[in-house]
Amino acid sequence: MVGGRALHYLNFIAILVVSVLSGTVATSVAATTARTIRLGYLDTPGSALCRIAAEKGHFREEGVQVELVRYPDSVKGLEALEKGAIDVGAFAVRESLRAIAAGKNFRIIAGGGTPIKNSPLAELDGDLQSENESQGILLLIPPEWPNSEKGTIIQLTAAWIRAYRTNQQRLSTSSGRSVNQVHFDPNPDYWRLERIWRTLALQHPEMKRDYLASHVYEEIYCDALDRLLLGQIDPILQQLFSKAICTPNCCPANAAKN
Amino acid sequence: MKRIIALTLVFALTASGIMAADLPKLRVGYVPEPAHGLYFLAKEKGYFKEEGVDVELFQFGSAAEGVAAVKAGKLDVGTFGTTAPLLFISKGSEFTFIGGMMIGGQAIITRPERLAELSGKDLKVYKGKKIGLVKLSTGDVVFRGALKKAGIDVKKDMTFVEFGSAAAVVEAVKKGAVDAGLVWPPHFSLAEKHHGLKVAHYIEEFYPDYTCCRIFAHTDKVNADPDTYRKFLTALIRAYKFYKTNQEETVQVYTKALKIDEDIVRNETYVKKVADSNPDPLRKGILDFWQHILAAGYVPQDYPVDKHINTQIYKDALDSVIKKNPKEKIYQEMLAFYKKNN
Repeated sequence: MVGGRALHYLNFIAILVVSVLSGTVATSVAATTARTIRLGYLDTPGSALCRIAAEKGHFREEGVQVELVRYPDSVKGLEALEKGAIDVGAFAVRESLRAIAAGKNFRIIAGGGTPIKNSPLAELDGDLQSENESQGILLLIPPEWPNSEKGTIIQLTAAWIRAYRTNQQRLSTSSGRSVNQVHFDPNPDYWRLERIWRTLALQHPEMKRDYLASHVYEEIYCDALDRLLLGQIDPILQQLFSKAICTPNCCPANAAKN
Repeated sequence: MKRIIALTLVFALTASGIMAADLPKLRVGYVPEPAHGLYFLAKEKGYFKEEGVDVELFQFGSAAEGVAAVKAGKLDVGTFGTTAPLLFISKGSEFTFIGGMMIGGQAIITRPERLAELSGKDLKVYKGKKIGLVKLSTGDVVFRGALKKAGIDVKKDMTFVEFGSAAAVVEAVKKGAVDAGLVWPPHFSLAEKHHGLKVAHYIEEFYPDYTCCRIFAHTDKVNADPDTYRKFLTALIRAYKFYKTNQEETVQVYTKALKIDEDIVRNETYVKKVADSNPDPLRKGILDFWQHILAAGYVPQDYPVDKHINTQIYKDALDSVIKKNPKEKIYQEMLAFYKKNN
């Protein structure tokens, strides 16, 4: 009987050891095979969401491994994005839209920071406003981004939105005179981009009417917001959701898909 | 003799196979709402093939994905609400509305103890209330239009609380976080069945014959082959007659195809008649809907949406059916409805 009990315990320990080892191996396998997303960015205040997301652990919270890669200017950054040297880019609106107009098939998935210029004229003049907004930052992906990895991009965008929330919370709690020279908005906002596109005279007669719209992937931003709205909803997220133009999903969860 | 029969059979089967292979194909996207069952009726009763078109149906859970599939050329026809195709059109997509799939269908639900307070034929009962809704859903847009017609200012007289899904709206109503919620079929029936909530109003009561899901296609495809789309709509017109005159079989077809509770399908389709599976393009309804979207500020600039509505293909389809069935009352009613709404 003692022998039987010992055998039982030995079996149990063996199973435990195997389970732990399997878990360790599985984790190691997962760690080595989880893709590291190389995010190119500029060293400007408008790109702050990248650094906030990295420093505050938002990428990790969303389950994406991100390596930040700094670029001196948007032209070099967009070249790197096109060549595949980086996977995602946070680059200037003007250069990004010009690249798209020139035929580069980048897709815009989120907005970033725009420098604030305290000019009463800018508030009254749409063209001046667009000119200012063209100096802001956009988040872009290359056309080769595989459909099977759509989830990764949604997670990255969710981390980006978290970074925006962290920044807004910091601004609302900071005492004394707040030095906020940048307006952040993670919404890609097609209509704002369309206004800038027109101001920069980028639409040519040979382009289809939906040329720009085909490069603005608002669905990703909407899916990322949906992902965050599943958790605790705070006023900042609710405000983003109110401003977003996202087509609602229609159907009960138990509807079967073909 | 047996050899002759066998040869005849082989010949007939081969001929039908060849004919099916020759029929123009349409890949049609839809969402699993009871009112979309007209597609399945037309397929089940063989109307598509009889009219000369081979239809393949694809179910989507997301209107955005479905519309994107039409834009990418992966679908030849889409049925994804009215909001989604209009938003895409406003941004430059070349879509054309050619028909309809659903008229009406939105309802306001509340807790049973609030029912008396929210009863009546006047939308003013909602003044001062918090209404949960899914932003940009058909109900959101049409309700705003109904409130405006009733002289109610949505910004001053009530509070809209936006949610990401119909399920979230139902949850909010259940918990009392909002006074009432606006959802679409089958969500309000599910809310009644599973959570004890009650329908306070159907939006139809305040805004008759409003557009819900529309049928649209890429303009290039419609212009290149209007005859195939006419055959497609002819089959749907015939399916509509069947839906109006064969309740039990329609319920069975809808239930099986859409995998929605049979009682809910029957109740919504024939008892409460919350929506009409009507293939009419409803041009005036689409134009009104666009104005409500603009008034709500969802799109910042106007666009001539009328250029994207083709009612002639449907009219030709309806005329062809009436020509073959001149005494059929339902088709005459459809013609009168067409004249009034287009």
